[in-house]
Amino acid sequence: MWEIMSSRSTDAALLVDDQDTGPQGSVVLEARGAGKRYPGVIALDDVSISMRRGEIHALLGENGAGKSTLIGILSGITEPDSGEIIIDATPIKFSNAAQSQSVGITTIHQEQTLAPDLTVLENIFLGRELRRGSLLGRFLLDERAMRKRVEHLVEEFGLTAEDLRRPAGTLGALKQHAAQILKALAFDARVVILDEPTSGLADHERMSLFENMRRLRDRGVAILWVTHRLDELFGLADVITVLRDGRNVATVDPGTQTPDSLVRLMVGRRRSAVADNSSQARGTRWSGPEEEILRLESVSRAPLVRDVDLVVKRGEILGIAGIAGAGRTELARIILGADRADKGQISVNGKQVRIRNPRDAYNLGIAIVPEERKTQAVLGDFSLAKNISISDLSRVTRAGMIIDRSAERKLANVYVRDLEVKTSGIQQKIRNLSGGNQQKVVIARCLFTRPALMIFDEPTQGIDVAAKNEVYRLIYEFVDAGGGAIVISSELPELLRVSDRIVVMREGRVAGEVAAGPAQSEDERSDRAEVIMALAVRSSS
Amino acid sequence: MRIRERLANIAAVEGVVVALIFLAMIIFFSLSSPYFLGSQNLRNLFVESTFTVLLAAGTSYVLIVGGIDLSIGSVLGVSAGLTLLTMQKTNSLPLAIAVGLASGAAIGLLNGGLIAGMGINPFIVTLATLSIFAGGLNVLTTRAQLIGTPSKSFASLAQGSVFGLPSPVLITAIVVILLELVLIVTPFGRRIYAAGINDRAAHMAGVNLRRLRLQVYILSGAIAGLAGILLASKLNSVQPGLGSGYELTAIAAAVIGGVGLSGGQGSVWRSVIGALFLATLSQGMQLLSISSTWFTVVTGISIVAAIAFSRMTQRLAATVRPAASPPEPTQPEPEPSEDRTPAAAG
Amino acid sequence: MSFLPNNATVGQRLRAAVTSPNSGVVSVIVLVCIFATIKSSVFISVNNGFNIASQMVFILLLALGMTIVLISGGIDLSVGSVMGLCAGVVAKLMIDGVPMVIAMLLAVAAGAGLGMVNGLIITKLGLPDFVATLAMFGVARGLLYLWTAGTPFLDYMTDTYFVIGGLRRPLGYLTVPIIVALVATLIVAVTLRFTPFGRHLYGVGSNSHGAMLSGVSVPRVRLLAYVCSGLLAGVAGVLLAGQTTAVAPDLGTGYEVYAIAAAIIGGAALSGGRGRAIGAVIGTLTLAVTANAMNIAGVDPTWQQVVTGLILLLSVVLDRASTLLRSRVVQIPIQPVAATTAATAR
Repeated sequence: MWEIMSSRSTDAALLVDDQDTGPQGSVVLEARGAGKRYPGVIALDDVSISMRRGEIHALLGENGAGKSTLIGILSGITEPDSGEIIIDATPIKFSNAAQSQSVGITTIHQEQTLAPDLTVLENIFLGRELRRGSLLGRFLLDERAMRKRVEHLVEEFGLTAEDLRRPAGTLGALKQHAAQILKALAFDARVVILDEPTSGLADHERMSLFENMRRLRDRGVAILWVTHRLDELFGLADVITVLRDGRNVATVDPGTQTPDSLVRLMVGRRRSAVADNSSQARGTRWSGPEEEILRLESVSRAPLVRDVDLVVKRGEILGIAGIAGAGRTELARIILGADRADKGQISVNGKQVRIRNPRDAYNLGIAIVPEERKTQAVLGDFSLAKNISISDLSRVTRAGMIIDRSAERKLANVYVRDLEVKTSGIQQKIRNLSGGNQQKVVIARCLFTRPALMIFDEPTQGIDVAAKNEVYRLIYEFVDAGGGAIVISSELPELLRVSDRIVVMREGRVAGEVAAGPAQSEDERSDRAEVIMALAVRSSS
Repeated sequence: MRIRERLANIAAVEGVVVALIFLAMIIFFSLSSPYFLGSQNLRNLFVESTFTVLLAAGTSYVLIVGGIDLSIGSVLGVSAGLTLLTMQKTNSLPLAIAVGLASGAAIGLLNGGLIAGMGINPFIVTLATLSIFAGGLNVLTTRAQLIGTPSKSFASLAQGSVFGLPSPVLITAIVVILLELVLIVTPFGRRIYAAGINDRAAHMAGVNLRRLRLQVYILSGAIAGLAGILLASKLNSVQPGLGSGYELTAIAAAVIGGVGLSGGQGSVWRSVIGALFLATLSQGMQLLSISSTWFTVVTGISIVAAIAFSRMTQRLAATVRPAASPPEPTQPEPEPSEDRTPAAAG
Repeated sequence: MSFLPNNATVGQRLRAAVTSPNSGVVSVIVLVCIFATIKSSVFISVNNGFNIASQMVFILLLALGMTIVLISGGIDLSVGSVMGLCAGVVAKLMIDGVPMVIAMLLAVAAGAGLGMVNGLIITKLGLPDFVATLAMFGVARGLLYLWTAGTPFLDYMTDTYFVIGGLRRPLGYLTVPIIVALVATLIVAVTLRFTPFGRHLYGVGSNSHGAMLSGVSVPRVRLLAYVCSGLLAGVAGVLLAGQTTAVAPDLGTGYEVYAIAAAIIGGAALSGGRGRAIGAVIGTLTLAVTANAMNIAGVDPTWQQVVTGLILLLSVVLDRASTLLRSRVVQIPIQPVAATTAATAR
């Protein structure tokens, strides 16, 4: 196999402009009747999909609809129980990622696939290194050929030649993304699979990614594109396949669809419930005194947070907007005490405080729902009860040092019921819940500490539409009962909908503030979105 | 199918397998040698095992919080040496005990400070302190004659009996029970598990990781110090090299008992079972006059077998009981839907 | 590794030098040399250099293997035991009349085979690296004890073997072990730097999941890393048997600690993805130079173990401190040239 690959890669043209695999529109890759069962669930049930040259094929579906499984099968990571994959009219079986790559399928996964200690160039060719031609040289790397192959692509995708020599771990998120794309382009990929490529990207970064996708399409590559954001699809996708509960429910032309009709296909019978929830508005607003809960004065931590002033009052939701790297999460970490500020003052309830670690923050009534739920919030092996109580064990401790387990279960159960967490019981391990329910448990953990201020960092990342609305409801309930909330989100529509005010950050500073609110017309909303984007990306010159 | 299912159910209960093997071993040895279950032999067995049991109990804390402490063997040696030295110089039992415990805790503080404070890998830090303090004991033994004390009370610490029970066994039992209780019922114990399961999440949830880790390493050092005091009392002399290799036995005991190296799983009693298992094995082999060199070989194989076996039973349990096994984490809420057939039916 | 602009100031260059990896190690070597030179003039002599080289050969071979394993994200605690067992294989086979070359090849093969067993236990059974190699540490050592029945293998030396062991030196200071170590260093360096396998080692250690998704066969790479480590331990064992002229059952005890220390001092990281062959050389050199300097300076040999531990600790503490410093330095964005000039002008 190594021989095949190395000869392919040395002989093949740089890219596929003049490939002989057929005209635009001919079928490159086809999956027929693919099925996969896991103990207790059917992840994928008799799904067929075909991909054509020069086509952007969008794959939609809620979490758990089977998208990841299908991608896993196509990229050789998951072995299907049934069905076949056909490439160039020949059935083929993948038992590892290398085999999928060797027939021209490149997958850009959602999770971090770059090795931080390797340079960008080394990462691009990891697993498919070019070797020298001579007999002995077969065992040696050909650095020059590798560099040459990607050199001319580098600038086009927003990297510099210098970046190629840097360890991938030292680059920012956008450049790492570009490196992943180069990983696909460096080989004559015929099929590129993009798994939620825009998550975590700001709007202008998404635009440049879409440019890149169009460029790939024009070169005759078939693109399978998984996304959660329906607004992205129109004008870009050539065909849309919708999965639901492990089945292919429709393959449609985007021209015949609207976002609403797509949602209907995605959620099926549950549509009505979603519709009701999505119209969920704030309840009775907090009518008590609008005291300040949190005040920051010229808080800085080099280089990502500079001279930030802001105020959060009772009954208020403060949104923080900004592109990736603008310092939003870093600011949240300072408020929580996870990082320390170099200078500036933080006051809670009018009193100046020092927050040295998250423990201090919780004691002051500040709680956080962190981004990256899996790595930063969920204690997988703990039961729901233990996950909920961990931030304030004093509530269930007797005699100063013994945890009263039955009291813990009872109290945690109250939160589970209030937040409508769907679970088989309070003793269930949290790792066995869906993403949306895990997020609710994390919110329960924060509420358990009876906080005055909650910080929500990307609170709806990776959870489905219905669960998103539930999360919004919980935020509303919290502030309407007199709490204050900070919501950080990369999704502007979400931020506009949830927040009362939006602070825009750029390069670590507060670039401006925009009023938001629930009663907005469509025009008003897009106006504000434009203002925010302008503030977020305007260059400092 | 039914029997397999039941077997899997039994095997999946934590620690049952090791306990069963342990039991089988005891039966085997008692059938092979009439002396094995004799009261003198059992007494010896328990007294001999106390040091490993203590160290293994401390090791469980460190492993569960997600760390490792390789220095405990040399901590044991150094605090044994300092205890005996204090005894010789001052003849004061309380002072000697205090010195023994304090030296252990101080080394734990050094380990914990570097690990928790500076964020250096615990394996390397404790490997270095292992070397430093094993060497330190060598230096100490060349400077002082660490043989014998005039005091009778010191010897009775490990050689006496209370209510017919050897006193080191009693002390160890009390300490082990306390450690187990602290781990399962106190907030301190709860946080140790949380930190071991996912340290970043625990940090964001308000667990003070620095302080917690520091406390755990100090505790581990202090327990090794206690084991050192008992060993010094039992031997009434301290040689260079005392305690070397104990760290590996303690870790082996914890692992055989089923404490995970990646943190967040296990308990004190499981390490204790592992330690008793190793002690019984060693004692039984001596009785059957099998060369003691076999012991290291058998220990090594037991480690691999114990883990491989527990993996196997887990896998078996997962395949035999699909209904009880949890749905994939990526699944949506179990909303009733006509498309979805209950998998348990199949 | 640092990205200095061509017009970097002296200060920037100095800071980069101080904060670069390995700088801690180099400064240790320099300090030790200065100290030893003051104490004795012998230190710099050629003879002395040769003594250092002979001492470091075996540690270097093990450290090279350890570096490979560490880069892949694993650890090998069994190298000392495997080296001892392989020395035993040569000696025993030669006593039994097997031709020397065949005996040596079989011994090296035995080392590679034991490494493969480590790798298979880790990749197929899924045991943690630490546990699997800890078990092999016990098993290999125990086997040598059983095999030798406690008494060393003797009387296997031949004339050629004296040359191979470095006891006879037809080429002057360039003895066979030194040549072998140099060649091994070169091969490892080339493998790590210029071959796909080397690249895959870094990839797997840096992000194993990502490497898997990129099409690298992660289990194969990890398995091969352990085979390399075992093979190098086998080679070291063959040479060591020639130098000691007797294989005692405890031959090679404690070498795993030196190997790990040397690799870590040389910049390899336990977290994987970092390490170089030259680093193993620097690390070994640090240990050997210090031991030798202490020897010459007349420090009591009992201090040696303490100092080894201190050097290991010092090197990781310095490395960590410089990382912390660097991360702070890098975070501060580079000021535009105009702004800097304006600031200095004022």
